[in-house]
Amino acid sequence: MGYDPENPMKDRITDIGPPHYERFFPQVIKDNYGKWLYHEIVRPGVLKHVSESGAECYTVRVASARLISIEHIREMCDIADKHCDGILRFTTRNNAEFMVDDEAKVQPLLDDLASRGNKFPVGGTGASVSNMVHTQGWVHCHTPATDASGVVKAVMDEIFDYFVEMKLPAKCKMALACCINMCGAVHASDIAILGIHRKPPMVDNEAITGVCEIPLAISACPLGAIKPAKVTLENGDEIKSVKVNAERCMFCGNCYTMCPAMPLADPEGDGCAILVGGKVSASRTGATFSKLVIPFLPNNPPRWPEVVQAVKKILEAWAKNARKYERIGEWAERIGWERFYEKCDIPFSDKSIDDYRLAYDTWRTTTQFKFTSHIK
Amino acid sequence: MALSIEELKAAILEKALNGPKPQLYLKDFYACDPDSKPRVIKKAANEMVTEGKMVFWSSGSTTMYAAKGRAKDEESRGT
Amino acid sequence: MPKHDTPLMDELEKGPWPSFVSDLKRQAEKNPECWDILGQMELSYKDKITHWKHGGIVGVFGYGGGIVGRYSDSPDKFPGVAHFHTVRLNQPSSKFYSTEMLRKVCDLWEKHGSGMTNMHGSTGDMVLLGTRTEELEPLFFDLTHELKWDLGGSGSNLRTPSCCLGKARCEWACYDTQAACHTLTMHYQDEIHRPAFPYKFKFKFSGCANDCVASAARSDFAVIGTWRDNIRINQDEVKKYISGELKAGGGIADSFGAFDIKKDVIGHCPTGCMWMEGGDLKIDDAECTRCMHCINVMPRALRPGVDQGATIMMGAKAPILDGAQLATMVIPFVKPTADNDFEDLIEVIEKAWDWWMEFGKNRERIGETMQRVGLPSFLRVMEVEPIPQHVKEPRCNPYVFWEAAEVEGGWDRDIKEFRERHKM
Repeated sequence: MGYDPENPMKDRITDIGPPHYERFFPQVIKDNYGKWLYHEIVRPGVLKHVSESGAECYTVRVASARLISIEHIREMCDIADKHCDGILRFTTRNNAEFMVDDEAKVQPLLDDLASRGNKFPVGGTGASVSNMVHTQGWVHCHTPATDASGVVKAVMDEIFDYFVEMKLPAKCKMALACCINMCGAVHASDIAILGIHRKPPMVDNEAITGVCEIPLAISACPLGAIKPAKVTLENGDEIKSVKVNAERCMFCGNCYTMCPAMPLADPEGDGCAILVGGKVSASRTGATFSKLVIPFLPNNPPRWPEVVQAVKKILEAWAKNARKYERIGEWAERIGWERFYEKCDIPFSDKSIDDYRLAYDTWRTTTQFKFTSHIK
Repeated sequence: MALSIEELKAAILEKALNGPKPQLYLKDFYACDPDSKPRVIKKAANEMVTEGKMVFWSSGSTTMYAAKGRAKDEESRGT
Repeated sequence: MPKHDTPLMDELEKGPWPSFVSDLKRQAEKNPECWDILGQMELSYKDKITHWKHGGIVGVFGYGGGIVGRYSDSPDKFPGVAHFHTVRLNQPSSKFYSTEMLRKVCDLWEKHGSGMTNMHGSTGDMVLLGTRTEELEPLFFDLTHELKWDLGGSGSNLRTPSCCLGKARCEWACYDTQAACHTLTMHYQDEIHRPAFPYKFKFKFSGCANDCVASAARSDFAVIGTWRDNIRINQDEVKKYISGELKAGGGIADSFGAFDIKKDVIGHCPTGCMWMEGGDLKIDDAECTRCMHCINVMPRALRPGVDQGATIMMGAKAPILDGAQLATMVIPFVKPTADNDFEDLIEVIEKAWDWWMEFGKNRERIGETMQRVGLPSFLRVMEVEPIPQHVKEPRCNPYVFWEAAEVEGGWDRDIKEFRERHKM
């Protein structure tokens, strides 16, 4: 019967949750749930899982842009209907996975994918760059300091070979968040691109009364840089507003989240920082945060050449110098961050020295260091 | 002794309608009855929304409550 | 809706990586508002700044989550995206789909929205990107009636839980991550759909320490699979890796050259608890910290033990505002199981929630509350006995918050009596 606007509560259904996952398992998954014995990477982007029962599941992993249309999803469905008994899945890193239960079905699937232009690149397994997780950027977000989809496209175009081949020392997980809210968390990634602002918020006194709860704006600031202020508008009205102590501002944008009358985005002020060396898995060393090694690169659409080159330089310096199984952070720890800066040809500045909370943890408190070119 | 759920709802609505702050965090309602557990207060506040007397306001990351008509919103400005 | 000139966007149709611009153009043939998405994005590329503004009270009636409001700041130029709200659908655990179900979602979104999606959002939801306020209730009606599917979380709610694919296709899952994720998602529908907390709260479930859903970095409540007996070793398979018959990591890299068990496996062991003895690989399991490296490198020779369960870690978050936090180990070992509807997890969760709802400040994640009150206080709240595993190392300062009851005679003293013995 469909929705009846006259009776919005009629037959209303709520709190039913998602469909049960078991409904969507391929037969080979259903039959071998919890019985998997080992896996192999047959070739880049193709996994083979073998069960105690002897059954095999071949998985072909393809990248997606994450920002995808329903026409694109329908095309994925066509592929899954043709090759995979009508089932597919998505990974946490925005890849799609097509599964078949027989080795003979793999090549026809790969051929089909390859015949569809650049839509379904196969890769992202083992010692490769995996698909970049990212946020919305200018396609949908109200607080970004850079775009997301476009930057990712530009970076992945440039380092594409590292996605479709497995020739790195270890896996490399990359991520982009278009502002420091990090709705896609990038703080534990091998290489992270992070949108940052560099101009303090303006105060729109004409609008603030209508759109903003003043106390919320004031309490949003982690550094107490926002204070209440009485302001006289052009029409002579005196209103309650706020003023910003710009010297205290750390450009987090938390005030804008709570108060739309305090915009801080700016074409020249905004850009990207590069952070490296984080990881989440506990493999060998525990989870670590990414470190800010390049404090700012400009937004230069449509292809962000400065950002792309910086990422490529770091990736290739690591690829050339690291030992087998060393993630970027493990490599940098071993050779020392002063050597990392040299190897990656990145200038060091005081912007990479922490002066926020808990900063002391990162200051060097030993005479053990290397005489790199930084010491004149 | 803790208020009954109906008494609690009345106290919450009173605060949302006539308090100095038009938009409130859930925690702001805890003072409506110090003897009620936060979960009971949450339940009462959310029931007020289901009854159409209050609305949710969300920044996307944070959610607040307001009496119907008191929340700041783009749509209510005719966008 | 007319097409706009988009020379900057068009540039992103080139190159080997899939192009979202080509995709938007393709969708625009069916949903013309996509021309306005491209047009507004082109304007952002020219101006180097966003043209969206935020939402406020947009949602479906009775829910405080699942929809995020969004409006264009240039609706006259781009009327197709004047309203552009996001809809979050709670994904099925670990994101397997039948094409039948996916096509139904596509049809739903062609009817009620822009036709653009994110597969998936960072928290795990399927994200439908861009619709008008008046479409929300009809969409929700069709979603719940025809697809029998529900929205995910946003705002100060329990956010949509997510998990790795676990036992469905991985030999390392030490508990049933999908069952845990689905069971708790269903158990906490109210908390997902209506605000309940000082701020967001996230559950993530990983089957092993490789942590494919980044639970240790991204969730307030992380359940990470582990075991507490011995790694299972198949010595015949170990020999096949050494002889080169089997490839390291199941073929993790094409560039690694010859396998060297001393360097590639034993040399990377963080505890140094492995060695070769007479052609056999030996492990002193009591010293093993279950990091997964050796198992990752020799998946056919080594497997997690059989006494499997999970470690509970709490309090991870991204930097906003006081800085990023990784999850802190709280409970070393539980055995999460569907046999008791995961009540061991529920008990821990609700103990933490009851405390955080009362003592957490507005917009404070539980990890920040933990840090503010200190881990000893938090462990008392959780009724967990403090053990050395809770810290990397003991504290280096002596400022212990002793309690009166712990000190002989308590804190009540008489200054007059003191002065009789000690003149000023």
